[in-house]
Amino acid sequence: MFAARRIEYVKTLLKKVGIDPARLEMYNLSAAMGPRWAEMCDEFVDRIRNLGPSPIWLASRKQSEKGVTEQ
Amino acid sequence: MIVGKQKPFDEIWDMVKGFKKVLVYGCNTCVAICHAGGSKEAELLASMLRMRAKQEGLDLLIDSAGIERHCEPEFFEPLDEKVKTYDLILSTACGVGVNFLADRLAGAIPVYPGINTSFYGAVPEAGFFVELCGGCGNCILHLTGGICPIVRCSKSLMNGPCGGTDKGKCEVSSETDCAWFLIVERMKKLGTLEKLFEVQPPRDWSTATHGGPRRISLEHIRAYEAEEEKKATLTGEGK
Repeated sequence: MFAARRIEYVKTLLKKVGIDPARLEMYNLSAAMGPRWAEMCDEFVDRIRNLGPSPIWLASRKQSEKGVTEQ
Repeated sequence: MIVGKQKPFDEIWDMVKGFKKVLVYGCNTCVAICHAGGSKEAELLASMLRMRAKQEGLDLLIDSAGIERHCEPEFFEPLDEKVKTYDLILSTACGVGVNFLADRLAGAIPVYPGINTSFYGAVPEAGFFVELCGGCGNCILHLTGGICPIVRCSKSLMNGPCGGTDKGKCEVSSETDCAWFLIVERMKKLGTLEKLFEVQPPRDWSTATHGGPRRISLEHIRAYEAEEEKKATLTGEGK
């Protein structure tokens, strides 16, 4: 599947800019798999919580705090 | 077509990080076909640079744009004014495009290369590019069955294979075909094998880059353009 290969490629790009590729995932399922979808969402949320805030978010917060201090 | 490959991201970052306002400028011809420097790749690269800048706490404005060709002046014109508002142009065009834009900007803004221009090649299958022409300026493909020994033979041999040919493969790599094996097989099929008995004299490389920068001037076209420009000036329609 082309989309899956593209996701793998984007993961390599994320790694280059210092973002953990685990923050991106692709799941396959049909529209009739509601319960499984809910499980996947829970799994992914857990994974992201374990990884902590994204470095981009942290950098943004640091910058905005710096801005406030300077003002 | 010209084939290129994006430079390593860290190398690009080192070039860019000292500037304040950067335009990643793509070319939608050859380098877009090889997924290295078209508008899409320029946009992607700009996005990656913004992510890095954010993490390093740098106040860096990075935009992207693309035009159809970086090797003819008229394609640049619609974006000329926009381009002049940046303090660095990171071009993802081939080396020709980088040179041409740098000449056009005449030192007003630096133009840096975002890709490594690699070779003149073809696309035998999606995502795979092979070098087939060296642009040597003195084509001999009529003597070699349409297979170029200048670039397809690792040693650029002109009079048959070396001792390193091995069952149709090159000693340099088992993935590389021996060009002279291919040439002999092709010429057998064409029924022109006897042409190979003619010994080729030492090659004159002055038509390649060894003779300095090369130019081709089509005088009839240049004369016509000059006349048209003269007419336009006389009628007040000149640029």
